[in-house]
Amino acid sequence: MILQALKEYYDRKASDPESDIAPEGWEKKEIPFIIVLDHAGNLMQIEDTREGEGKKKRAKAFLVPQAEKKTSGIAANLLWENAGYVLGIATKGNNERAIKQKNAFIDRLTNELGDIKVVQAVIAFLTNVTEERLSQEECWQEISASNPNLSFRMSADSFLICRHPDVVSRLSSTSQSSNDISGTCLVTGKNARIKVLHTSIKGVYGAQTAGANIVSFNLDAFKSYGKEQGFNAPVGAEAEFSYTTAINTLLGRDSKQRLLIGDASTVFWSKKQSSFESEFSSFFEEPEKDNPDAGTQNVKALFESIHSGAYREDDGKTPFYILGLAPNAARIAVRFWQIGTIAEIAVRIHQYFKDFAIVKPPREPEYYSIWRILVNIATQDKSENIPPNLAGDFMRSILTGMPYPATLLQAVLRRIRSDTENRVKPVRAALIKAYLNRYYQFYPDQNQREVQMELDISQPSIGYQLGRLFATLEKIQEEANPGINATIRERFYGAACATPVTVFTNLLRLKNHHLAKLDNKGRVVNFERLLGEIIGNLKDFPAQLDLHEQGRFAIGYYHQRQDFFTSKGVAESDK
Amino acid sequence: MHNWCLEVWGDYACFTRPEMKVERVSYDVMTPSAARAIFESILWKPAIRWNVTKIEVINPIKWISVRRNEVGRKMPNPTAKQMAGALGEPMGIFIEDERQQRAGLFLRDVRYRIYGYFDFIPPDQRKANHSVSPEFWADEQELAEKIRLDETEAKYAAMFERRAKKGQCFHRPYLGCREFACDFRLVDPQKEPVELIEETRDLGFMLYDMDFEKDENDPIPLFFRAWIENGAVNADRREVEVRG
Repeated sequence: MILQALKEYYDRKASDPESDIAPEGWEKKEIPFIIVLDHAGNLMQIEDTREGEGKKKRAKAFLVPQAEKKTSGIAANLLWENAGYVLGIATKGNNERAIKQKNAFIDRLTNELGDIKVVQAVIAFLTNVTEERLSQEECWQEISASNPNLSFRMSADSFLICRHPDVVSRLSSTSQSSNDISGTCLVTGKNARIKVLHTSIKGVYGAQTAGANIVSFNLDAFKSYGKEQGFNAPVGAEAEFSYTTAINTLLGRDSKQRLLIGDASTVFWSKKQSSFESEFSSFFEEPEKDNPDAGTQNVKALFESIHSGAYREDDGKTPFYILGLAPNAARIAVRFWQIGTIAEIAVRIHQYFKDFAIVKPPREPEYYSIWRILVNIATQDKSENIPPNLAGDFMRSILTGMPYPATLLQAVLRRIRSDTENRVKPVRAALIKAYLNRYYQFYPDQNQREVQMELDISQPSIGYQLGRLFATLEKIQEEANPGINATIRERFYGAACATPVTVFTNLLRLKNHHLAKLDNKGRVVNFERLLGEIIGNLKDFPAQLDLHEQGRFAIGYYHQRQDFFTSKGVAESDK
Repeated sequence: MHNWCLEVWGDYACFTRPEMKVERVSYDVMTPSAARAIFESILWKPAIRWNVTKIEVINPIKWISVRRNEVGRKMPNPTAKQMAGALGEPMGIFIEDERQQRAGLFLRDVRYRIYGYFDFIPPDQRKANHSVSPEFWADEQELAEKIRLDETEAKYAAMFERRAKKGQCFHRPYLGCREFACDFRLVDPQKEPVELIEETRDLGFMLYDMDFEKDENDPIPLFFRAWIENGAVNADRREVEVRG
């Protein structure tokens, strides 16, 4: 299904004249330097195609014949290659190899395109050029140092020699070699030439830079029935080209249809052209620095679209695919794979934003990116500490509308315990709320009530009320001793939420001393009233709280604390 | 010809797609060959060949992604030297050296109803009929009696029914991979109707089975266009086109 959907994407792009996806047998490649020749094969100049400043310099991408699958052996590409092959520069100090490489490059040209006039000029150039002549060029230093890709152009033409009409027509007529084994392609179901080695997939975060493979059988144990390489999974050459080109385009540097979720490079596409496809990433990504409202606007558009059933001008019934990839050495593993219609997925994302809605201070972003949520449950708030599988599971829950993974709640509670300074941040409170509400939606419980967006004084949960109590006690302490170094939050939060009975008696005793310190008697009365209200909801201090109650403790604490800040104006005016 | 229905269920399942079999990704639903193997685990004889006609999906399709330690090498055959008992390299493989971490996208909490019947093969056509597991004959006599005179279709039908009802099997049936053992029971779909998942969509080309007929040592994979219609996949070879 995955390969088939990718092939569909390729076919859609290929039939669209506006798109710049490579045709069969070709690929897009960044070529920093172009050797410009005259008709006799004399070097005119070496053109630098790069644009930009300093390290951001990027070469222009050109359509070139598809690269050979490189191993440690020597395999030359047609009419483009790195400087080692084209000019025989010994890049790694291995002179012998460089000569072999250059010969291989020339041989391939002569054998396959030797009778074409423009190619003869190239061959003439390759055989006659001297290092002395080359070193007169401005960018020679850079070429010999960095071994960049090179290609050729005639000074009279505006296109590369590999795109010369004579060359193109020759390549399309000779692409089929007859001695390959054919079989039924598992993507198209047609009888086709079976591809033995599949093109590498580049751009998966964390994978080898040379690329990795989804379809590969690089060890003995992976083979079945004595079959070798690609014959274990018969994919036709055409289907193979389509799916690898599609995924490489989706994962490409300029692609707007990719997203990093945890460690999984995620790509997404719809069956037909859609604006959902191009804006999907903005729902989950951190907003851009120069346009922080763009994401928010897209989410708002999504919220409005729910009533009409479709996202903006899209057809809601169009299938939408989401594929999460993670590297495993030279191979790529599929972390998650989701199919749904645009309407279905839009509803689920909408639900996800609703789950996460919670009262929060004004400087907080309105919507959280996946990264921000995950980083706030990771040790030391660092991206690299995000548990690898959790990100994928979380994303899958969002997209399927199923309960969030239990490990998510465990992780956030653990993080709240260990982060003595911040404890319950808005994003963590939002996460717990989302988790609990979705959980009880699937496993209803008479004794539980939905967690609200803001303070809910009649919430029956004992954990919630204890959280409120703890926040109140902390506030009393803060006001009694302004600027204190370590409050009860730093010292007692963990124990208070896990084993309330051991701490609360002590804290309630201390509270009396703190209240005595307050000068403003009206404030004291207010606090006493609030404490009375909260304790009135409690029968007893339980010995332990389970994980869900600990979650509610965190939310109760957070809500109460937010309430202190937001209703301050009111509290002060009625004293 | 009787068409039996087995209900099978398990915590996990992986009907591996050939193109993603290293870092495994499962098909959305059970493949016909996996269903066939379940029938065979209950009863298989050289005289019968199982055919699967329909696969019904009862539980919603759920996924789980798991990373596991596996071994990256096949156990080699002993060399002539080793067979002769000469001293030298030991035959075994050390899993610590051959350890591979592999990811898998498996199915979770599955429950299917599979329908199948068997063909009774006359003795002269039996050569190419193979079981999933290799045969081990107790002795020469048993091998020689491979084709028995008293065997009939009705006898094997009765045997299967008796065994399936009792929950007997020759080896533990499994859902795609040996490690995902499953439970089974023989059901009468007329008496015990069940609600299937509400899904109708194209599943793409799916592995139907391996064809050992042409070349025993290099079997050809067979594929068919799988459609899930109101929760059921039609896999009847007499009705769907099988390519290979």
